[in-house]
Amino acid sequence: MLKKLISGVTASLLALSLIGCSQDDDTSFEAEERVVNVYSARHYDSDKAMYERFEAETGIRVRTRQSGASQLLETMRAEGGESPADLVIAADAGTLWQFQEDGLLQPIAADRLAGDLPALAADDASWIGLSKRLRVIVVANDVPEDAIRNYGDLADPRWEGEICVRSSRNIYNLSLLGDLIDRMGPEAAEEWAAAVKGNFARDPQGGDTDQIRAVAAGACNIAIVNHYYWHRLANSASEDDREVTSATRIIFPDQSTGGTHRNVTGIGLAASSPNTEEALELIDFLLSTEGQGLLVVETGEIPLDPQADSMAGLDDARNAATNSAPLAVYGRNQAEAREIFDRVGWD
Amino acid sequence: MSEVTGTAASAEDRSSLRLLTHHWRNMPALAAMLVLVLPLMAVVLAALNGGGDGWRNVVETKLFGSTLTTLGLLALSAAMMTLTAVPAAWLVTQYRFPGRGLFEWALILPLAAPAYVLAFAYKDLLNVAGPVQSAVRDLTGLGARDYWFPDIASLPGAAFVLSAALFPYVYLGARSSFVNQSVCTLDAARLLGAGSKRRFLDVALPAARPAIAAGAALALMEVAADYGATSHLGVESLSVALIVNWEGYNDPGPAARLSLVLLTLVFGLFYLERLLRGRAGVQATSSRWQQVKRAPLSRWPALGAMLLCGTLVLLGFILPMARLVWIAVETQIVPDDFTSATRNSLLLAGMGTAACAILAIVTGFAMRRGGQLGRASRFAVSSGYAVPGSVLVLGAFAIIAAAQHVGLIDGRTVVVSLVGLVWVYASRFTAVGANAVDAALARAPASFGHAARSLGAGPVKRIARVELPIALSGLITGTLIMFVEILKELPATLLLQPFDWETLAVRAYNYASDERLASATLPSLLITAVGLVPVIILSRALSLSRPGRH
Repeated sequence: MLKKLISGVTASLLALSLIGCSQDDDTSFEAEERVVNVYSARHYDSDKAMYERFEAETGIRVRTRQSGASQLLETMRAEGGESPADLVIAADAGTLWQFQEDGLLQPIAADRLAGDLPALAADDASWIGLSKRLRVIVVANDVPEDAIRNYGDLADPRWEGEICVRSSRNIYNLSLLGDLIDRMGPEAAEEWAAAVKGNFARDPQGGDTDQIRAVAAGACNIAIVNHYYWHRLANSASEDDREVTSATRIIFPDQSTGGTHRNVTGIGLAASSPNTEEALELIDFLLSTEGQGLLVVETGEIPLDPQADSMAGLDDARNAATNSAPLAVYGRNQAEAREIFDRVGWD
Repeated sequence: MSEVTGTAASAEDRSSLRLLTHHWRNMPALAAMLVLVLPLMAVVLAALNGGGDGWRNVVETKLFGSTLTTLGLLALSAAMMTLTAVPAAWLVTQYRFPGRGLFEWALILPLAAPAYVLAFAYKDLLNVAGPVQSAVRDLTGLGARDYWFPDIASLPGAAFVLSAALFPYVYLGARSSFVNQSVCTLDAARLLGAGSKRRFLDVALPAARPAIAAGAALALMEVAADYGATSHLGVESLSVALIVNWEGYNDPGPAARLSLVLLTLVFGLFYLERLLRGRAGVQATSSRWQQVKRAPLSRWPALGAMLLCGTLVLLGFILPMARLVWIAVETQIVPDDFTSATRNSLLLAGMGTAACAILAIVTGFAMRRGGQLGRASRFAVSSGYAVPGSVLVLGAFAIIAAAQHVGLIDGRTVVVSLVGLVWVYASRFTAVGANAVDAALARAPASFGHAARSLGAGPVKRIARVELPIALSGLITGTLIMFVEILKELPATLLLQPFDWETLAVRAYNYASDERLASATLPSLLITAVGLVPVIILSRALSLSRPGRH
């Protein structure tokens, strides 16, 4: 019995390692085909369909390394000039700014793209926006109409014990506060953060979806979240999820006073990109109407191309007025935002 | 065999080991230790450079709280695991009650499920919007803020989830000790009039203490190093704090220092346990094995035994898995193609396990031999186990960069990433196998070696024909567990995975971090399903094993 087990296990381990070795050999053939290496912090099944479409149209194979943005950043940093990465895709301008700050990206030359550079981009176009997302307020249906119209209203003491929001370590909150620092100045932004913290219903926990569900369950009346999390629930196959959205509604803050905080999922061109031509072709594809539709159909984000398809029920979000500050502001104010969150005790 | 000859035989056996290992066997052990500790040594070097603002900020804001949190997690989960798993092991080895045979192996099922998967499931089940609290509100008509409910996203909540995932380690340690304990000792205790309670507390438990402590040590090192489950539940232990800080300030230096704090803490605790145990040891004096005669339990104690074992299996496996299946069905998730992720997971786990197994044999022998080399080996295997995988990757990155610098390797190919990853797995998980080898060698009656010697077997032959087979028998258990652990490993794989090499664990984590639990259910269930195969082989081997027959 034991002998059989040992030999069985040893044999299968050996076989596995052999298969492993033959796997490695695949890479030696890759020099001949055109490839583009994408480090992606996005993990949608629809991305695969998107890349397959691109491969079918151009013959360029897309190889991905999917991980969290910070893991990708650390990996790229360790790889340095040897990094095989051509492109980095990540959600939030603040994240892309971190790659830029580390010198891991290079400017995307406008004249090498098929169309125009999007306006939503880094100052030096070392990363550009692909799709838009809005940081909105979700409230329970029994919160009176017009009781909350702006981000500033969340600081009102009448909402004591009513606000659910995720941790301040999350980049979405860092970028929002970075934006507010730009809009109202650091002192007022700190007062705002302290007042909002004073209105917390509970210590920050979970992600944006958890906050929306908590509002629907009655644990709080107000949540600060990215718009698409609400829309995904609204489009879910699960009846429970859809009930969450029928018990709540979205408010697009600051419609007449500076606009709702907008952010992007963006793409950056790696500084050491070995396949720049192929990388630029993929960027072209992602900015095309077809690519835009494939990019956002499952995520619920807003395409930059007004012609492109998006998830059902997104009209209000697509038409909402948004802020106009350059996206680079979020990155530049990131460190200050973090310090403010730490000082006011917003975990 | 009398006590005197028993001890003499084992001492003599050890000296024969020492004799031949002096010359050639130190080399493999030293080489293995070097492989094991090199990533960590690179981290220590990084820690020396890790001063500056980032570190000052950590010391001022995080260090104290996170250290307390880790201590709290360790204390709570140690209590939860030992108070449930040890009695369960005693019950299934010593008594007869309905379902005993089933529980004996079902109690290790939680090993197949990663702790972070349990955390996904429990957070979904128990959060304010989850099914349990919704049912409470529906039944009572109360609002969400009108009642108290234990918060799963809390330190006790995290300790509960980690205990539910990791108690099988303690169970396995306790069980193997109770099964292998001489029946004669227990019979003698019985003849001397000791009741079942006294036989457990005064005879079996002290003898089992080293094995229980070894099992608990493995589980607690996992607790200390855990990132996935603990961070999902919003608890900032040291291992979570170090990664949060690393990400937040883009500086791995403070993370390296925090990992040293973590390491010191964990080793401090084990040293304390050993100190408290003192020199007290229990020498097995009889090698006369008998079929364990399990005493039947009367109705109420039997019910209690079933309840305890059943609850453990339910909480550690059935309930969280059922919830994930339910979510997958409810949201009608369209299964993506997971064949390549499954293949990658299996390949990586296979290669990692092979590396671990070789290192475990070498270090396991060294550990049993004792002495300086043994202590050093014990330290080498344990140090990697107590550190989060992401920290070891930090060391691997440094080593790869150095190798590149001196021109040893050319560029970052798939092979470099794979070798790096397998190295990190080896450094992280060899402890499991090495401990199993050590335990197997320790359990083998000294008379085996003695007999071989009197039959004229030379030292090499004795190693090849007597000790190696015994060590391999221990390694089987270790290998299966290491395979499952590597299958579940997350932080290192996230950092070092080569292109198009996504594993199931990475898929599950990526989905969950995108707040798409429904999509994460399938890869989570798949990891568990794949992990079940070795776990079931392990349980079969367990239920077949009898004292004296490994």
